[in-house]
Amino acid sequence: MSITITGTIQHRDLGPGAWALVTDEGVTYEIFRGADKKLLKPGQKAKVQGQVREDVMTIAMIGPVLEVKSFEVISSD
Amino acid sequence: MRRLILLCLFIMGLGVALFAFINFQGLAVKGEFETIVLNFREDIPQDVLQQDLQAIAHRYNVTPHLDNKFAAQDHVYIIEGDRQRIKELKKSELAQAIEYIEPNYIYKIPKPGKIAWLGEYLSPLNNEEAQPAFKGPNDPMYSMQWNLHNIGVVGAWETTKGNGVTVAVIDSGITRVRDLVETKFVPGYDFVNDKVEAKDDNGHGTHVAGTIAQSTNNSYGVAGIAYEASLMPLKVLSDFGGGTVADIAEAIKFAADKGADVINMSLGGAGESQLMKSAIEYAYKKGVVIIAAAGNENQNSASYPARYPHVIGVSALGPDTLKANYSNFGAGVDISAPGGSDAGKILQATIDTENKGVEVFVGYQGTSMAAPHVAGVAALVKAAGVKEPDEILNVLKQSARSVKDDGLNYYGAGQLNAQAAVQLAAQGQISFQDFFRWLRDSGYLNPGFWIDGGAIALLPKILMVVGSYLLAWFLRVYFPFRWSWTLFSGLVAGSSGLFPLKGFYIFDLPQWPFRVLGSSIPELGNALQGTDPLNPLFASVLIPIVFMALLLGHPNWKWFAIGSSLGIAACLAVSAVSDPVVWGLGSGIFSRIFLIANALLCFGLARLALKNEEVVSG
Repeated sequence: MSITITGTIQHRDLGPGAWALVTDEGVTYEIFRGADKKLLKPGQKAKVQGQVREDVMTIAMIGPVLEVKSFEVISSD
Repeated sequence: MRRLILLCLFIMGLGVALFAFINFQGLAVKGEFETIVLNFREDIPQDVLQQDLQAIAHRYNVTPHLDNKFAAQDHVYIIEGDRQRIKELKKSELAQAIEYIEPNYIYKIPKPGKIAWLGEYLSPLNNEEAQPAFKGPNDPMYSMQWNLHNIGVVGAWETTKGNGVTVAVIDSGITRVRDLVETKFVPGYDFVNDKVEAKDDNGHGTHVAGTIAQSTNNSYGVAGIAYEASLMPLKVLSDFGGGTVADIAEAIKFAADKGADVINMSLGGAGESQLMKSAIEYAYKKGVVIIAAAGNENQNSASYPARYPHVIGVSALGPDTLKANYSNFGAGVDISAPGGSDAGKILQATIDTENKGVEVFVGYQGTSMAAPHVAGVAALVKAAGVKEPDEILNVLKQSARSVKDDGLNYYGAGQLNAQAAVQLAAQGQISFQDFFRWLRDSGYLNPGFWIDGGAIALLPKILMVVGSYLLAWFLRVYFPFRWSWTLFSGLVAGSSGLFPLKGFYIFDLPQWPFRVLGSSIPELGNALQGTDPLNPLFASVLIPIVFMALLLGHPNWKWFAIGSSLGIAACLAVSAVSDPVVWGLGSGIFSRIFLIANALLCFGLARLALKNEEVVSG
């Protein structure tokens, strides 16, 4: 199931560390696998198109796992 | 007078010092030995040495032997003997060739110290060994492991260190860093790369394994909890820290088949999987204790796998002993354990993947760090003789430091307590009955529900209900009335509410509707927030007055008003004794007086209403 989410990139200090995409409504997604470094900048707003992986479990456990297919940086403040 | 006292103190001090001196001298020559050390001079020729040894062997009918492989070049030999033999040897002609002849003392690990009373210092020590205070393991960084101090692990080690128990760590693998060298390992498997050796390429698994069984008392690095237990490394998470349900389920079955006693899963996700559920069921039926992290979403309800039946869900505590801000809570949380927060993390040895995998001591935080504490203590409990997974869970829950004000189930049964758990396990008397959990696990309830068995203090609730009935019965003697269902519902609503509902959860739904239904009228003011202190507006005579004003004109509902007034009277009176915490009044004498006064007013109000009733009807 492919979805498109707009949100802010955050780095979470849990275990060795994890990347999160937090939507404007406050839903937190865990960004799956080493996504593009251009996306993974704390505070950056982006529109991400991807897939929620229900079959994957992680050590960060911060929310549904989002596998990024493509993204569009909105602003990087 | 003052000079006399000073003189007495001086003499006493002198006496103590003298005794200490004598004892010090005494301790050097006291001690147990069965053998004698003979250190021959190194300048004597080899054939003279052999002649001397033969002479000793012949004269005393003993076989001199070398102490260890380094002893030959040092000419250190051991023979059997006592103090008498030492004297004889020293006098003999052989003594010239021997540098020293002395008892081969047997040293033991000192027993933990007791509180020293003055009298003990003043009485001479006989054959007692020195008893220094127990300072914990000699790992230099143990002092920084607040988490281990918090769970009281040193006290647990007096009984067991987990020997004979195997803990499977289903994670990113384990790299055998320097501080895991002395730890025992059993073969595991790497389910990600399909190979036997399950090395860590993330850092998480090694950290988690360290908390469970880091080599301890090895004068290096940090300590672990069940450090004589064996670790089984099972790699299911890849270098980025994620893995599939299929691999995890496979690893659970592998662990159960290969004789693991405890499984730790510091991982989580969203989807319910039948495959994983059945793997957990399989392991549970083989007697494996399964522990999982509650998740780091700061939400009500643990993530999977913590919420599956037969899995012990663990929430995380910070060094302030409060729930860590990231930790999940509510449904699925059985117990809490240190997981760290920004104020203080969990320190362990692991690898630094950003720096070519060099070994580092690093602090992590997360419910991932809390779960292995419970896994380690579960291993200790098992080693102490409790075998069944359900019983081990009961021991962990019953021994946990309970947290009184826990309406939202942040802590499950409480905070993990290793020392109390092992003591309880050693006693072998486990009485904790979690009926509702049993009911759910037995399949009588939909597994979408979850019940916090420890949410309600049962006895005060029963006292409140019974008390309200007694009050009604007492008044009935003076003012005869008919029992009616409105009176009954008033009594229940006023005294206790439908209290079993308070501990009731549905996964992923807010819990407050159950808290409200499960609360009595005086508790309604604090039910929404899920806090413990009573709201003084609700826990007072105000609501009965309003009820009376509104309902006294109605032929049926006035009985609800009377019943609830009596119920509230019982509730407040019992609270005044058992748990007198009122918002703004504290928990002392003021809140007790407040509660008792309002209880009396409620009773008086009900009595007044009944008296009126009699006048009106009579």
